[in-house]
Amino acid sequence: MNMRRVICGVLALSLAGGTIHVPLAQAALVGTGEVVAAATLGQAADEARQRLAALLARDDVVAALQGHGVDAAQARARVDSLSDEEVQQLAGQIDQLPAGGDVLGIAVFVFLVLLFTDIMGYTDIFPFVKKTAR
Amino acid sequence: MSLLRGGTCRWIAALALTLLLSGCGTLSPALRPGDGLPQQAYAGAPFFAQEIHHCGPAALAGALGASGVTTTPDALAPQVYLPGREGSLQLELVAAARGAGRIAYVLQPELEAALREVAAGRPVLVLQNLGLSWYPRWHYALLIGYDLAAGSITLHSGTERDYVTALATFDRTWARAGRWALVIPAPGTLPATARELPYIAAAAALERSDPVAAEAAYDTALVRWPASLPARLGLGNARYARGDLAGAEAAFSAAARAHPDAAVAYNNHAHVLARLGRRAEALAAARRAVELAGDSLPEARRTLEEIQGPGAGN
Repeated sequence: MNMRRVICGVLALSLAGGTIHVPLAQAALVGTGEVVAAATLGQAADEARQRLAALLARDDVVAALQGHGVDAAQARARVDSLSDEEVQQLAGQIDQLPAGGDVLGIAVFVFLVLLFTDIMGYTDIFPFVKKTAR
Repeated sequence: MSLLRGGTCRWIAALALTLLLSGCGTLSPALRPGDGLPQQAYAGAPFFAQEIHHCGPAALAGALGASGVTTTPDALAPQVYLPGREGSLQLELVAAARGAGRIAYVLQPELEAALREVAAGRPVLVLQNLGLSWYPRWHYALLIGYDLAAGSITLHSGTERDYVTALATFDRTWARAGRWALVIPAPGTLPATARELPYIAAAAALERSDPVAAEAAYDTALVRWPASLPARLGLGNARYARGDLAGAEAAFSAAARAHPDAAVAYNNHAHVLARLGRRAEALAAARRAVELAGDSLPEARRTLEEIQGPGAGN
């Protein structure tokens, strides 16, 4: 019982210590490192978006998607709705495919990713997919 | 019989060597010079003969020397040499360069980038794997010259001053080490191949330990990229870090004027205005930051609360 009180006291103190640090003068200044990190992420995401858009604009990819019953315009709209991190993840996964890999493979891959994002509730392309989020 | 076998072996070895050499003779497309790259160049750098296992300190001392820092491998060894590993890590070299008040800029992993730096008169610290991928022999050297027509490059390497070797061989040993290359520009100069965000990230890493040097680096960056928001904010942050509130205020004010939709600029400006006692202006800037950022910048709300003070009604 006593021990528990001591532990509680220590915890309370350390928590209080944590909050005391917040209002210090430096706390509200945004550091250069954070600014650069955010800008770098934004730039990389822009590039990833452009690459995905170029991929989804290719006739063979459009045809392959259509073969799977996916409208390319809708797929593009879904890519637009992905967050910066998700777009980079998607583009990164496509990069890892063998260079010059067969187009159908890529299209199927895109299809699978969109299917996955559908399941996760990020996207809503395939009506047959039951959403897990909301 | 044994003689004959020995002869066969030698013949096969010679054939293999010929095949290898013919491979060396043709440069891969990646090794073709780009536009505007001089046929040959030589960048002077102090030479320090390496003592046993001390290639890292020796190469770093040369690169720092070329950037105007007088030092020796012996002075650097305690900072960068890991006795347990009988060598140095790249991060240690980067940190030691910063410790000397210099920007440590890691190049794009491309031969052309390294050669461009040499052509601009700047030695390039390179990591090589002189062995094989499954039998690595890590080595740091200073790339100081090249001759495209002769297909050769010049290194300060180990105990060899101005060691000339084949460009293709160098590129192989360098590629085996991930084509890691570091330049240490003298104050007021930018690497020839510097890109905006990586360069400002390198300056930001210097900000904590040496805000004066970081401030100079941001100034240099703004000459090349006048519209760079991170550089302008860095300038303000570096001035703030060394206690120059008026200078920081000027930098953040300029940042907010040039980037009127950048919440960070207003937030940092508000913070410094408050420190200067200009409360009304601080409040206006802080409100603007919150307005622009919404929930995406928690610091903005904190700045506003700080300026409004505890128990402030509005």
